[in-house]
Amino acid sequence: MINFVLKRLLSIIPVLLGISLLLFIMLRALPGDPAQVLAGQMASPADVEVIRVQMGLDKPIHIQYAIFLNQLVHLNLGVSARTQNPVIEEVWARLPNTILLALSAIILACAFGIPAGIIAAVRPYSWVDYLVTIASLIGISMPVFWLGIMLMIVFAINLQWLPAGGIGTWQHMVLPSVTLAAFVVAFIARMTRSSMLEVLSQDYVTTARSKGLKEKLIIVKHALKNALIPIITVVGLQFGLLLGGAVLTETVFAWPGIGRLIVDSILARDYAMIQGSILIFGLLYTLVNLVVDLIYALVDPRIRYE
Amino acid sequence: MAFALMAFFMAPIAHSAQIKELKIGIGVDADTFNPQEQTTTLFQNMCDLIYDNLYYQDPKGNLHPRLLAGHTVSADGLTWTLNLQKGVKFSDGSAYNADVVKTTWDRILDPKMRVPLRFAVSMVKDCVKVDDYTVKLNLKYPFAPLDATLSMALAVPISPAALAKYGEDVRQHPVGAGPYVLSKWVKGDRIEMTRNENYWGKAPTVDKIIFKIIPEATTREAMLRTGEIDICYKPLPSNVASLKALKNITVEMPLDTRTIFMGLNCLKGATTDKRVRQAFNYAIDKKAIVDRILFNTAQPMDGPVSPMVFGYAKMDKQYDYDPKKAKAMLKEANFDFSKTIQMRTPNGRYLFDKQVSEVVQAQLQAIGVKVELRTYDWPTYVAGLLKPIEETELEVFLLGWGPLFLDADMALYGQFTTEVNPPKGLGSSFYTNPTYDALMKETRKEQDQGKRFELLKQASEIVWDDAPWIWLHVEKFVLAYSSKIKNLVVTPTEKFYPTYITME
Repeated sequence: MINFVLKRLLSIIPVLLGISLLLFIMLRALPGDPAQVLAGQMASPADVEVIRVQMGLDKPIHIQYAIFLNQLVHLNLGVSARTQNPVIEEVWARLPNTILLALSAIILACAFGIPAGIIAAVRPYSWVDYLVTIASLIGISMPVFWLGIMLMIVFAINLQWLPAGGIGTWQHMVLPSVTLAAFVVAFIARMTRSSMLEVLSQDYVTTARSKGLKEKLIIVKHALKNALIPIITVVGLQFGLLLGGAVLTETVFAWPGIGRLIVDSILARDYAMIQGSILIFGLLYTLVNLVVDLIYALVDPRIRYE
Repeated sequence: MAFALMAFFMAPIAHSAQIKELKIGIGVDADTFNPQEQTTTLFQNMCDLIYDNLYYQDPKGNLHPRLLAGHTVSADGLTWTLNLQKGVKFSDGSAYNADVVKTTWDRILDPKMRVPLRFAVSMVKDCVKVDDYTVKLNLKYPFAPLDATLSMALAVPISPAALAKYGEDVRQHPVGAGPYVLSKWVKGDRIEMTRNENYWGKAPTVDKIIFKIIPEATTREAMLRTGEIDICYKPLPSNVASLKALKNITVEMPLDTRTIFMGLNCLKGATTDKRVRQAFNYAIDKKAIVDRILFNTAQPMDGPVSPMVFGYAKMDKQYDYDPKKAKAMLKEANFDFSKTIQMRTPNGRYLFDKQVSEVVQAQLQAIGVKVELRTYDWPTYVAGLLKPIEETELEVFLLGWGPLFLDADMALYGQFTTEVNPPKGLGSSFYTNPTYDALMKETRKEQDQGKRFELLKQASEIVWDDAPWIWLHVEKFVLAYSSKIKNLVVTPTEKFYPTYITME
């Protein structure tokens, strides 16, 4: 087990290297000169050149990559071109907000999605099932942006129950969490339903029923436990994605997270900031995947990592 | 009766007493608070609060002494003697004097320093200390509007003690001599400023200003309506009418200095013919663009610069919408209707830029001109603007240009003289006219404001007739705020000063 974890942790290194190389090439393939963007529309070419040299962009691309890797080895993600602040500081200032929002959204989504999926699976093709199916469909198809603004109009402007944006109290978390969860909850409900349906048709469930076990016990202990693996996969994937920053939700609710930072950095062609925040996102994503794999083993004793 | 009267007179005083907190919703987080590095108006605005200005230019364009008490100019216009305000201290207690001002100019003029707006003071050769409260600026060539230039955040000094302590990191730890002190900066969330208790001037009425970062304009408006913020920076033009309808919200939208235009390449392609350029001007219904696309948050241009700047004059000849005339002019100029004109536009840089370009495209097509429109994000777009004439692909392109203080020089000189043709400058229309160039040089020498105005007007008439642009519109700066706030100063350079507001 420990060997497995160590191996997996080591395998993160080539993954991150791969990400960094791809990112490096793609960013520089983008048209637009970061120095020019930074200097503004009116700056003279000579002053733009000063900035270009300061940013190290006058050097050939392979040298730039070597410098970047060298920094990386020393756990230094470089300095943001826009703010001249270390990238790690800028990311660190926003990461807790992103994690907080992602966690609350995923918890909310599980709390509603899994029970809804179970109920739908237990009574397939009943009105409850259709209701869950329709609700999921709406949840998946509804643009996050639109939902966020609608919730804001109803709960912040009209009813004045909750703040429209920003961070601070738990009230500030409600609308963005619900908005984010609406999308994820649909995925989780769909996955729970189909996974449960499959398990409920298995022979051991029939056996349990014929033994005269209570239906509740069958569903929770026998069926759900066996149906959990694909559900955990979906939850893990969605959580990983949420960590990358839910750009639209963060934007609508003025939530100071990573997603917004990445978008602003792309618009400003702030190479170091984009590279740094995407790498950290990559790292988190691989870590979440590892945790998901470990949870598999906890849930299903047949899964063993050597 | 006497008592009532007294109460009446005392009431406003009681109301205008200290305001504890003012929350302002803005769209993006600041990058740097080093005034010499800053290029974004909103953050220059914040720098003004932290550092004050050498001169303060009011919304009408009048200059008021701040860190400078006054100045004199030599007869040849090449030496400016600046008299410093006495008794000024930085918020950390360090002294403000000629040495500090000299250091500031040395930093601005040092080619190794990052000073993107250096072009604005490129006429300054050096700064020499005369005595403790006097410095001299020696110029390379006469530049009459230097006094207005000195109102820019660019020229303002940073506390020498802070520079010694933080070095270039001072951009994150600004210390100035202004009415406010940066007290807290939560990245991506908010910027807090508190009153500078050592401020040399009149004490500000607001104790604490919080700039909340709210990227989405709709959310800023919502938060203004719920009272979570007091001032909403740049609400959406489409929502201005509905905000105006609310009793508890004031919408102010003074005309801006920024003009939006379609640049026409004067050295290459179909638009080298002046008649074609004029025809294009007649072909566009600028009034319709302003009314229907921009919800009246702009005004059609009637001269080559914004009406807000010194040197503006409404032109006698106007390019009123007349598609028939436009088509006739094109035929007269033997315009090749079979050729497709390439048009470019940024997307999201200016108010509804892409939509405005689409209307221009449609109206040119309506008179038989084939136009292909391409859209770019800003970094890509700006890279294409700077190519020299041999490489440039520009034919017709949308752009905005907003002088940073209220003088026509930055627009008329900075866009239309031969010396700003790319790659040296951003006069991407490649307009060249020796008569115009000579006239503009004259305006910089002329120290008599009346005569200077006449020269600027003459230059305006020439360029207006030559039409290197399709003259579109002048933007308005929209600010919405709680109606409780009175005396908020809002300027045509897209700045606002809550320093001396009162609240009901």
